[in-house]
Amino acid sequence: MSFTDRIAQGLESGWKVTDGATLTENQTVEADVVIVGTGAGGGTTAEILSKSGLSVILVEEGRLYYQKDFKMDELTSYANLYQEGMSRTTKDGSIAILQGRCVGGSTTVNWTSSFRTPDATLNYWSKRFGLDALSPDAMAPWFDGREARHSMSPWEVDPNLNNDILRQGCEKLGYSWQIIPRNVKGCWNLGYCGVGCPTNAKQGALMTTIPGALDHNARLFHGLRAERLVMNQDRIDSLKASAMASDGITPSGITVTLKARHFVVAASAIGSPGLLLRSELPDPYGRVGKRSFIHPVNASVAQMPKLVDPFYGAPQSVYSDEFNFSNGVDGDVGYKLEVPPLHPAMSAGVVPGHGDTQAKNLARLPWMQSVIALLRDGFHEDSPGGTVSLRDDGSPVLDYPITDYLWKGIRNAFYTMAEIQFAAGADRVRLMHLDSDWYSSWADAKAAIDGLSMEPHRVRLFTAHQMGGCGMGSNPEESVVNGFGEHHHVSNLSVHDASVFPTSIGANPQLSVYALAARNSTRLAQRLQK
Amino acid sequence: MPNHLSPSEGLDSVSLNRRSFLRTGLGGALFLGTVSVTAGLSGCATAPADRLGAVETRMDARYQFQFLTTGDIELFEALLPAILGSALPEQPNAKRMTVAGTIERIDAGIHKFGPANQKELRQLFDLLNFGLTRVTIARVWPSWRNVTTEQADAFLERWRSSSIGLFNNGYMALTKISNVAFYGYQENWDLSGYPGPPEWAVQVLPQFRNV
Repeated sequence: MSFTDRIAQGLESGWKVTDGATLTENQTVEADVVIVGTGAGGGTTAEILSKSGLSVILVEEGRLYYQKDFKMDELTSYANLYQEGMSRTTKDGSIAILQGRCVGGSTTVNWTSSFRTPDATLNYWSKRFGLDALSPDAMAPWFDGREARHSMSPWEVDPNLNNDILRQGCEKLGYSWQIIPRNVKGCWNLGYCGVGCPTNAKQGALMTTIPGALDHNARLFHGLRAERLVMNQDRIDSLKASAMASDGITPSGITVTLKARHFVVAASAIGSPGLLLRSELPDPYGRVGKRSFIHPVNASVAQMPKLVDPFYGAPQSVYSDEFNFSNGVDGDVGYKLEVPPLHPAMSAGVVPGHGDTQAKNLARLPWMQSVIALLRDGFHEDSPGGTVSLRDDGSPVLDYPITDYLWKGIRNAFYTMAEIQFAAGADRVRLMHLDSDWYSSWADAKAAIDGLSMEPHRVRLFTAHQMGGCGMGSNPEESVVNGFGEHHHVSNLSVHDASVFPTSIGANPQLSVYALAARNSTRLAQRLQK
Repeated sequence: MPNHLSPSEGLDSVSLNRRSFLRTGLGGALFLGTVSVTAGLSGCATAPADRLGAVETRMDARYQFQFLTTGDIELFEALLPAILGSALPEQPNAKRMTVAGTIERIDAGIHKFGPANQKELRQLFDLLNFGLTRVTIARVWPSWRNVTTEQADAFLERWRSSSIGLFNNGYMALTKISNVAFYGYQENWDLSGYPGPPEWAVQVLPQFRNV
């Protein structure tokens, strides 16, 4: 069997890739465009601009990891590939934030689910934020294009049992379910998407747009943190960046100044507002960092009579939108139902507890199944989202208060998930809540959920989807960029990532980011070539 | 976050201390910051430990601690038997070795958390290590070195079941860091029935060769 690692080959062929840790003196570099971030947005932008003939520099705070590093090990991957070594949370510590920090960003560690932005979401944006140009019809060709670029199609292999239990439960109860489209090519169905694809099957930025850009002479700095965009009059003149030592987290003291005609920020819904705030860019209406959304996630675990082996097989292949838009786009909060993979460290972090009880619970991992609900936040006045601000050290932090509107949805989702698991034959079900016991019937679980207190920390909450904070809109008084990602007040600055979404998406966001970044980069390339 | 104590918790003087603690800083940061300074002044080691504790009994003395102090290590030596329970080996020497190895992995993990979360953890650990706050806030009377597994478990239960979000958060931080470092480690995979990555894939993937 032969292996052809795209990254190893490219590095050998002379790609311009610089590890910040190897820099020994301060320097200044220049290009037509500097792009901050190498995830879904930054990678797409870099490939399109460099193919159009523009010179491009990519700046990535995390390090370059690729096949040689992807050994299907949770602890090393969480420490190296995720923000804050997988310890990132919202400001009060109550919501765990899963977010990539490496070349390829979150697309290097996501579970490959590839959904178009729901029509209802796009139509809501049009109506509420004046984004008429982003109608489902207008966006369709961009989704088509990105689905082809990232090899996205519904998963054709049978779902693993972990996912099939969601299907079975939905079938029994008459709830709709579908097969998830995945961005994979020649997937081995191993189940390790979340720790870096070991076979290069995943077609995230790392295997597609980043190599595409580097093949077209783009230059990549990794281990280099964008500190501050520096204005000169009404334009950005340069980006000040600091190099990290080889541990990826300690600044080495070396700085790099990056000059360009145009700057694209694609540093994520936490990183991008953070960079704009640190840079003190014009923000006359105080919009930067506001309306941050996360698809708050709660979870339920079940003990099944049959071996589930929830650590093997494509992590996400079945979903249900039965409750996502059932109350209308802007009624009571909707939620999408999916399944998470359960490896030992992930499970030990998700299932709360200690002592003999915890040991006993985790010993049953091979029989464990889990369902998660992703709440569609941001579509109602009682779901205004969170706020990104800066800590004393300049790092960004997200404050995300859970409103009563969301608590109601979280409780409803607990009911739904437990009901589905029992319908699929679960022996016992436990809600991820500090006060939840194991329940052996739907009736018991239902009664228990009635009494669970909906409070931060007691309800275990997660997010893998960060959106908003540099929201787009036609009205500068309530947005940061326009519908093309162009900053309302700084003419040579664009934002091309999930931070521009004015609400959450209502589905895993990677394809929404790819498609919008492709559309806006195509326009930007035309603009810059004039 | 609830801003009142439940009746059963609000009676003794210890709870009064907790009450004022909560009034002075529900966010906790100011108060905890003070503890950090005080702990430093009163001689608690806040510099990373080089060699120590249960850890001292280890044959392999090569690990250099990057974040945990002598006091933090004693804290985890006291807490891990309560957090990991029956997942730890029974044989005393094997148990000590496992605890020591887990503490090293906790330290390595925290190093990767980065400065902001390290600062939060420093405040939490200082609060637990500093005598006055250990007694008043954690309600643990002996120093951690002399705490029994039962006492450690009772402390964890108090913070878990507390109606105060800040304590729930502390409970989750301590148990999550420990559980992830323990169950995620290859030698402990069997305790969760996880066979590891499929052997057939390991056999043929290039990254597992020439290690």
